[in-house]
Amino acid sequence: MINSVVKKNDEEGNWANSYTLTLTNDEVWDVPHNVNNRHYQAILEWVAEGNTIAEAD
Amino acid sequence: MTKAAELAKMGEVLTNGQIGGRRNMVINGAMQVAQRATSVTGLGDGDEGYVAQDRWRHTVAAGAGRYTATQTAITDLPGFANCFKMACTTADTSIAATERFMFVQRIEGQDLQQLKKGTSDAEKVTVSFYVKGHDSATYVCALYDVDNDRFVGATFPVTTSWARQTITFPADTTGALGNDNTNDLELRFILHAGSNFTSGTLATAWESATVANFAVGINSIFESTSATFFLTGVQLEVGSQATPFEHRSFGEELALCHRYFIKDDTDYRAYTNHQSDAGSRAGNFHFPTIMRDVPSMTASVDAGSITFQSRTTHGVAMTIGGSVGTNTKFTTFSADSEL
Repeated sequence: MINSVVKKNDEEGNWANSYTLTLTNDEVWDVPHNVNNRHYQAILEWVAEGNTIAEAD
Repeated sequence: MTKAAELAKMGEVLTNGQIGGRRNMVINGAMQVAQRATSVTGLGDGDEGYVAQDRWRHTVAAGAGRYTATQTAITDLPGFANCFKMACTTADTSIAATERFMFVQRIEGQDLQQLKKGTSDAEKVTVSFYVKGHDSATYVCALYDVDNDRFVGATFPVTTSWARQTITFPADTTGALGNDNTNDLELRFILHAGSNFTSGTLATAWESATVANFAVGINSIFESTSATFFLTGVQLEVGSQATPFEHRSFGEELALCHRYFIKDDTDYRAYTNHQSDAGSRAGNFHFPTIMRDVPSMTASVDAGSITFQSRTTHGVAMTIGGSVGTNTKFTTFSADSEL
């Protein structure tokens, strides 16, 4: 289950087309912005449930 | 079986292609590969995903039941060394309507074109597997056509001794499977379900998916803390005959699994060409096989922080920044492109 999702920036501060996904079991994944990726699909479902992706720090 | 019937079955096997080439469309059917873990406790209540054996997904709705999933050594089924074991650790005897547990293998459509599904030449498909449990029970084995939202299932018995179960599903002339790398067909073992999935009539012929017809007549794996379920030798093949299980070497099976998941915890040094100085490190990791799609990544290093700079189905470029010593090393590294 998803704990948080944060957009990830590259070294120049631009969005790196990926997300940092933290699960409730403490696993942390770098997830590509790709509809064929199961973690990204889970993020979309999580957002549809009313959750929000945080902007990069 | 009469001699004539036996000869007829042999003839069918010879002519329908079941003895030609690789027969089993299931990967890791003998439960040999478990890159993530060999035992995971406390599962349940929405813990969806891949936890133990490679390629086998746990679909778990919210509920009170908890279980342990393990790759377990077999001593009482000649020819097989490993199985999936599910052991209930917290019972759930008040099953909510939405509850469900399924043990699932998702299959790419491009690997299923031989089924000719959705055409007038569609083939029957046969599932066979070895199963046992703590007591007599009934569960459902099913196929779910993700592309066309169609379903067919059958109940199967479980006893306290290993037995091979064989189910032949009818050909489906409706709904072609995409010739692509996405999840097009799911092989499901349904071991627990609430009334949303049990209140209809089991869909034993292909039909537009109606959830009430998914799991009619099953027992629950969460009925008591003594409940167990053991599974191995899973085979999905074209035709109406269950041929002997297609044993593959561990190396073959691991290579097939690497298309979907790679884990390296061999604790190797990062970028030894820079070991003489401190500072950031950069390098490439080439996957052992081309992955299904661009993977999610996770890695741990003993110092600094890792950034995945770019990635493809072939590999990933990474940097390790921060206070990196001369002997920085990866402790774990995983790439996930599962369905």
